[in-house]
Amino acid sequence: MENHLQDLHEVLSKVQGYVYPNEIELNWSILIVLYPYITGLVAGAFILASLERIFKLHILKPTYGLALLTALSFMLVATMPLVSHLGKPLRAYEIMVTPHLSSAMAIFGFVYLWYLMVVLLLEIWFDYRRDMVIWANETKGIKRFLYKALSLWTTDISPKAVALDKKLGYIVTVIGVPSAFLLHGYVGFIFGSIKANPWWSTVLMPVIFLFSAIVSGIALVMLIYILLSKIRKQKIDMACLDLIARYLFYILLIDFVLEGLDQIHRIYEAEESFEVLHMLVFGKLFYTMFILQGLLGTIVPLLTLGTFQFVQPKEKIRKAVYLVTSALILIGVFFMRWNVVIGGQLFSKSFYGYTSFKIGMIGTEGYLMAAVWIIVPFIILSFLLWLLPPWKKKDEDADIQEV
Amino acid sequence: MPQQIKRLISAFAIVILLFLVMQQVLKPSSFGVSGHYRFLAIQENKLKELQYAGSESCIKCHEDIHIEKSDGYHAQLKCEVCHGPALRHVMYADKFENEELPDSLKLNKPDERKDCAVCHRINAARIKITFDTIDNSMIKQVDPMKHNLVHKKTKVELKCIECHYPHQP
Ligand code: HEC
Ligand code: HEC
Ligand code: HEC
Ligand code: HEC
Repeated sequence: MENHLQDLHEVLSKVQGYVYPNEIELNWSILIVLYPYITGLVAGAFILASLERIFKLHILKPTYGLALLTALSFMLVATMPLVSHLGKPLRAYEIMVTPHLSSAMAIFGFVYLWYLMVVLLLEIWFDYRRDMVIWANETKGIKRFLYKALSLWTTDISPKAVALDKKLGYIVTVIGVPSAFLLHGYVGFIFGSIKANPWWSTVLMPVIFLFSAIVSGIALVMLIYILLSKIRKQKIDMACLDLIARYLFYILLIDFVLEGLDQIHRIYEAEESFEVLHMLVFGKLFYTMFILQGLLGTIVPLLTLGTFQFVQPKEKIRKAVYLVTSALILIGVFFMRWNVVIGGQLFSKSFYGYTSFKIGMIGTEGYLMAAVWIIVPFIILSFLLWLLPPWKKKDEDADIQEV
Repeated sequence: MPQQIKRLISAFAIVILLFLVMQQVLKPSSFGVSGHYRFLAIQENKLKELQYAGSESCIKCHEDIHIEKSDGYHAQLKCEVCHGPALRHVMYADKFENEELPDSLKLNKPDERKDCAVCHRINAARIKITFDTIDNSMIKQVDPMKHNLVHKKTKVELKCIECHYPHQP
C-alpha cells in the first residue's frame, strides 16, 4: 500500500502514449496463444487423415493412423491451456458442468465435445475395433484388459461386422471434415468477431485460422512421421512424404495469399486504426511477424517446397529439408497465433498508445507452463502409439471391400 | 442390431448419464440463483478488504487542504490519486493527533520530480492537434528533465513542489 505511487510509476513506465487503465496488463498471454495453436494442430492433422480416407489417396496410408492419433493426443490437451489460464485449478471443473448456450466463449465446450466424442474417438474406434479384438486375444494382463475395455467388450470380427465398421468410419470421416473446419473456424471466429479490436475484427479471420491450422497440422504429422521412422529405424515412404509435402505447399500458398489479402485490405482501407497498427507491426511485432512468421515460417518453406515441385534432389536431401521445413512452419504458425493474440492487446483501443508485454519463466502464465502443455501431447502420443501402433494393424484390405 | 452399435449406444448413454449426475453433484450450490453465475461469488468479493476511502472522507480532518485544493488547478484530482489508498489511515489516524503516525498509517507523499511527471511529462498522445494549433490544454505538459531543473543561482536540483504547491499548483 505504501508503494502505491511507485507502483503506478512502474506500471506507467510500461506504457507509451495514452492507454486506458485496463489495457496496461495483457490479460491473454502465452497460454491463450497455445490454445488456438493446439486446436489448429488437431484440426490440421485430422484433415490430413481425412484426405486419405475420403479421396482414397492410398499413398498417404502410412500416415493415416499416425495423423489420427496425433490429432487425438493434442485434442485431449486442447482445453488445458484455457483451464490453467483461469488459474483456479480447484474449481476448474465448474466451467465444464455449467454449459452456456449464448456465450461465444462457452460454445467451445460444445464444439470440443462434438469433435472429440462424435468425430475423433468414433473414427479411431471404428478404425481400430477389429485390431483391438485381435490384440486382446494375443496379449495378456493389463494390456489385454485395456484392449477389451477400449473395444467395449465387442467380439464380432466377422467380415460383415468389419465392413460395417468401415462404412460407419467413412461416414464419420465425412462428417468429420466439416466438423474440423468448424472447430478451427470457431477459434478464428472468437477473435474475428471482436469488433472493438481492429487487429482481430475481420471476417477473414476464421478462414485464415483454418488454413494456417491445416498447414500446421500437416507439418506436425510430417515432422512426427520423419522422427518416428528414425526412432523405429524404419524406411520412410518417400512417395507418401513427397505427396504430403506437395499438399503442404499448396495449402501454405493459399494461407499466405489469404493473409496477404487480409493485410492488403487493411492497408487499402486505412481506417483510423491504421496508424497505430502500422506502428505496431513495424515496432513491437517486427521480429515475430516479419522474421519468424513471414520469412522463416512462410517464405522459406514456400521457396523450398515450391522448388521441390520442379526439381527433385536426392532422397537424403529431401528428407532433411522436409524435417527442417516442417519445424520452421510449426514455429511460423505458432508466431502467427502469437501476433494475433498478443499483438491485438499491445495497442490501446484509443489508438493513442501502446503497452508492453514481458513473459516470465515460471508461474501459471510463464514459459514453463506453456512448455508443459506442448510436451504432454507427445507423451500421450507415445502412449497411444504403444497401445495402438498403426503399423501393427493387421490389414486385410484385400478381402474386405471398402465402401 | 449389430453388436458394436449396441455397445456404442450404451457407452454414449453411460457417458451422458454420468455427466448429468456429475453436473448435479458438482454444480456450485448458489449457481443460477440469479443468472448464469455463482451467486455467492458476489458475497465472496464483498468480503475482500477495502482499500480506498474517497476524498470526502478526508475533509473531516484535513479541511484546510480540501479548501486550498478546491480552487486550484488540481481541484478535480482525488486525494488518493497522489497519496495512495487511505482507508486504514482514515479509520485510525485520529488516535495520533499531533504525533508521529505509525508506519502502517503513513501515506505516500509523492514529492519527487518523477511523481509529478507521471501526469505532466510530455506525452504526444495527450496533445490535441487541430489543423493550425497544437493544444496541450488537456493537461499541461513540461519536460521534467528541462523545466526549471536547477536553481538559477545555486545550481542545486529543485523539486517541483519547491515552486508549485501540490494542493494548489
Ligand atoms: C480521522 C482524521 C483523519 C482523516 C479522516 C484523514 N486524516 Fe490524514 N492525517 C490525520 C492525522 C492525525 C495525521 C498526522 C498528523 C498530521 O500530520 O496532521 C494525518 C496525516 C496525513 C498525511 C501526512 C502523512 C505523513 O506521513 O506526514 C497525509 C498525506 C494525509 N494525512 C492524507 C490524508 C488523506 C488523503 C485523507 C483522506 C483519504 C486523510 N488524510 C484523512 C488524520 C486524518
Ligand atoms: C497532486 C498530488 C496531490 C494531491 C491530489 C493531494 N496531495 Fe496532499 N500532498 C502532496 C504532496 C506532494 C505532499 C507533500 C508536500 C510536502 O512535502 O511539502 C502532500 C502533503 C499532504 C499532507 C501533509 C501535510 C503537509 O503539508 O506536509 C496532507 C495532510 C495532505 N497532503 C492531504 C491531502 C488531502 C486531504 C488531499 C485531498 C483533498 C490531498 N492531499 C491531495 C500531493 C498531493
Ligand atoms: C494524477 C495526475 C497528476 C499529478 C500526479 C500531478 N498533476 Fe498537476 N495537474 C493535473 C491535472 C489534471 C491538472 C489540471 C489541468 C486543467 O484543469 O487544466 C493539473 C494542473 C497542474 C498545474 C497547472 C497547469 C496550468 O494549467 O497552468 C500545475 C502547475 C501542476 N499541475 C503541477 C503539478 C505538480 C508540481 C505536481 C507534482 C506534485 C503535479 N502537478 C502532479 C494532474 C496531475
Ligand atoms: C523554479 C521553480 C519551478 C520548478 C522547480 C518547477 N516549476 Fe513548473 N513552473 C514554474 C513557473 C514559474 C511556471 C509558469 C511559467 C512557465 O510557463 O514557465 C511553471 C509552469 C508549469 C506548468 C504549466 C506549463 C504551461 O504550459 O502552462 C506546469 C505543468 C509545471 N510548471 C509543472 C512542473 C513540474 C511537473 C515540475 C517538476 C518536474 C515543475 N513544474 C518544476 C516554476 C517551476
